[in-house]
Amino acid sequence: MIAVSLLLAPPRSFAQDVTYEQLVRADHTPQDWLMYGGDYKSQRYSRLTQINRENVHSLKAAWMYQPNHPLQPFESSPVVVDGMMYVTEPLSTVTALDARLGTKIWTWSAHLPDKILTVGVHRSNRGVAILDNTLYMETLDAHLVALDAKTGAVRWTVHVDENDRGYAMTGAPRVLNGKVIVGVSGGDVGIRGFVDAYDAKTGKRIWRVWTIPSPGEPGSETWGKDMSGTGGGGTWGTGSYDPELNLLYWTTGNPAPDYNGSDRVGDNLYSDSVLAIDPDAGKLKWYFQFTPHDTHDWDAIQVPLLFDNTVDGKPRKFLALANRNGFYYVLDRVTGEFVAGVPFVTETWAKGLDKKGRPILLPNTEPTAEGNLVYPDGHGGTNWNSPSYSPQTKLFYVSAREIGAYTVAGKPKVDFPGFGGGGRNALSGDDSYGAIRALDVMTGKLKWQYKMLSPAETSTLATAGDLVFAVTDEGNFFALDAASGKLLWEFTVGGANAESNLITYEVGGKQYVIGASGNCFVAFSLP
Amino acid sequence: MPGNYTITDKEAGNIVAYLRTLDSATSSAQATGDAKKGEALYNSSGCSACHMIAGQGGSIGPDLSRIGAMRGASSLKARLQDPGANLPQVGEGGFGSKWTQYLMYRAVEKDGRAVEGVRVGEDSFTIVLKDAGGKFHGLWKPDLRSLEKETGKSFMPSFKDTLSATQQDDLVAYLMSLKGAQ
Repeated sequence: MIAVSLLLAPPRSFAQDVTYEQLVRADHTPQDWLMYGGDYKSQRYSRLTQINRENVHSLKAAWMYQPNHPLQPFESSPVVVDGMMYVTEPLSTVTALDARLGTKIWTWSAHLPDKILTVGVHRSNRGVAILDNTLYMETLDAHLVALDAKTGAVRWTVHVDENDRGYAMTGAPRVLNGKVIVGVSGGDVGIRGFVDAYDAKTGKRIWRVWTIPSPGEPGSETWGKDMSGTGGGGTWGTGSYDPELNLLYWTTGNPAPDYNGSDRVGDNLYSDSVLAIDPDAGKLKWYFQFTPHDTHDWDAIQVPLLFDNTVDGKPRKFLALANRNGFYYVLDRVTGEFVAGVPFVTETWAKGLDKKGRPILLPNTEPTAEGNLVYPDGHGGTNWNSPSYSPQTKLFYVSAREIGAYTVAGKPKVDFPGFGGGGRNALSGDDSYGAIRALDVMTGKLKWQYKMLSPAETSTLATAGDLVFAVTDEGNFFALDAASGKLLWEFTVGGANAESNLITYEVGGKQYVIGASGNCFVAFSLP
Repeated sequence: MPGNYTITDKEAGNIVAYLRTLDSATSSAQATGDAKKGEALYNSSGCSACHMIAGQGGSIGPDLSRIGAMRGASSLKARLQDPGANLPQVGEGGFGSKWTQYLMYRAVEKDGRAVEGVRVGEDSFTIVLKDAGGKFHGLWKPDLRSLEKETGKSFMPSFKDTLSATQQDDLVAYLMSLKGAQ
C-alpha cells in the first residue's frame, strides 16, 4: 500500500475556535482529534494514513509527558485542536501541551476538598470536551468547569451534585450544539443516577434525566419497592450522538446494592441500559436493558459505537456495544430494536439471548455466601475503554477479558455510605488472559484475535492505515494489521494498570499516535 | 463495584497480615524438630548452593532469611517433600490479580535451542527465565517456537525420600527460626 496524504481541511491558526459544525464533521479533519471517541459516532477511527501497515515497524517515541505529582494512572483521552493538545490528569487537572513537542503550555487543577468520597470509583479523569474556545471538564467532587482553551482561565463552575451523597465525576463530557452533557459515578454507594445537560455559555442546567424512576413513573414497577433514591444506575461513561436523528445515546451502570438483588425484586430499570435521549426536550425516546436485575457488577457503561450499513438494499443506522456481561449487541439506533447479540468472551451465566435480546439465564449463577465461579468477572468481558470500528474492514475491535470470578453474596447494606451486597474474588493471572478481538460488526462473529498476557483495560484505535493500536496491561504499546491481526510493531513502556485511550492526529506534516501507560503519555511518530 | 484498587496501604497491610495468619493456621505454626540439628542438615545437604540466608549463599532459589516469619511449619515441610506443588501466589498483576511465583517454563527458540527456567518477569511480548545456573534469559515471545508451563516442576530436589521424617522436622525447625534481622 502506498501512503497517501489526505486532502485535509486548510490549516487554521493555533487553537482557533471549534464550532458545532466542525464537531459534526470531525471525521473530515483527521489532523485534529476533537472529542472523546474521535467523532459523534465514537468510532475511535482516523482517516490518517501516513503511519500504515508498510511502515509502522519503524514507529519511534517522539516525546513523553509525565505529571509533576503522579497520583493515579492516566485514563485520559486527549483532545487535539490545531497543534494544541489537552490532556487530563488525576485527580482533576487539565494540561495544555504543544502536540508536536510535548511542551507544557498551561495547567489548571481544581481546588478539591481534603476528603472526597469515591467508593468503587477510579480517582482519575478521562478527558475534556471542547466547543468554540471553551474546554469542559468534570471534577472528582462532582463539579463541571468551563475553562478558556488558550489560558486555562475559569469561565464558570457549576456544582452538579453532592459528593457526600456519593456523587463523583470522572468522565469526559459530551458537547452538542450549545449544550454540555455529563454523567455521574457513585452507583455502588446508592446514588440515584442521572444525565444532565448544561448551557455551554452560562453553565445553567437545562434538564436532568434520572436513570432510576420515581414511584408511579414508567419502570418503577421493576424494583418491588421504592428504590428511586438509592438504586444506583451511574452514568460515568461518555455517550454518543446522531445529529441527523438528534438522539443522544447514554449508557448506565449497575443497580445498587451490588451482588445481592434480594432487596430490589425485578428488572431494575434503567440500570445496565442504553438510553436514547432527545437532547432538546431532555426526554427518553427509547431504552434497551442489557442485564436485567444485575447481581454481578456488569455496568453497561461501555461506549455505544454508532455505525451505518446497508441491509437488504436499504441504508440503516445501528448501535454496537460490547458489554461487560460478555455479550456483543447490535441495536437499531432509530427504534432501539434488538438486531443481533452473541458472546464475545467466555460467559457462563446465560444460555444466550432471546429474540428481544433478553438473556436466557442459566441456573446456579447467582452470587452465593461461599462464592460462585462465573465468567466474566466483575470487571467484565470488556470495560469502559473505547472499542473502535473501521469502515474499511467493517470490523469492531475490542479489548476482551477472559477471566472469571467467585462472586460472593453478602447481606445487603442499604444504609449510606455502607452500600453493598457482596464482592468478588477474581481468578489468578495465570488462569486468565486478554485479547484484542476483531468482530464482524453486524454479527459479532470473531474474525481474528491477538492474545495478551493479562486481561487488559485498553481502548483500541483503528486507522485508515490498516492498523489497530492498543496497550497491554503490562504497558506494551502495539500495532496489529487491521485485516489479519498480525503483530506489526511493539514498544514497551511499563507502568501498572495501563488504562489507555489511544488517539491519533497530525501536526507539522507528521502523524502521531499517543496513549498512556501508568503515569506517562507517549507520543509516537515515524522518524 | 468495590475493587481492590479502593483499599488503602494500611488496609492492604492488614489483609497481608491476615493472610499470613491463614498460612500459619492451616499449617501448624510450631516446629517440633531440633533447630540446631536442622542447621547442620541445611549446611550438609547443599541448600546454601541455591538459597541465601542473611546475605550468604546462592541466589537460584528464594532468599530464606525471613522464611520463618512468612510460612508455617507444615507448609515448609510440604515444600521440602514436593517443592513444585502449591507454589505461592503474589499479587503484582493488574486489578489485584495474583500470579504464581517460581513457576517453571520451557522455551524453544526458532533455531531449536531450549531454555528451561523459573519465570522472573513476563509481559505480553517478553518473558525472562532464570535457568538452573542462575543465568537470566530474556526472550521475545513472537520469536519462540514454543513456550510451555512446567506446572509442578522445580529445580529443587524433593527431600521426601532422602531425609528421614525426623530430619525433615529438624530442617523445618531451623527454617522456622529464621525471622530476619532483629
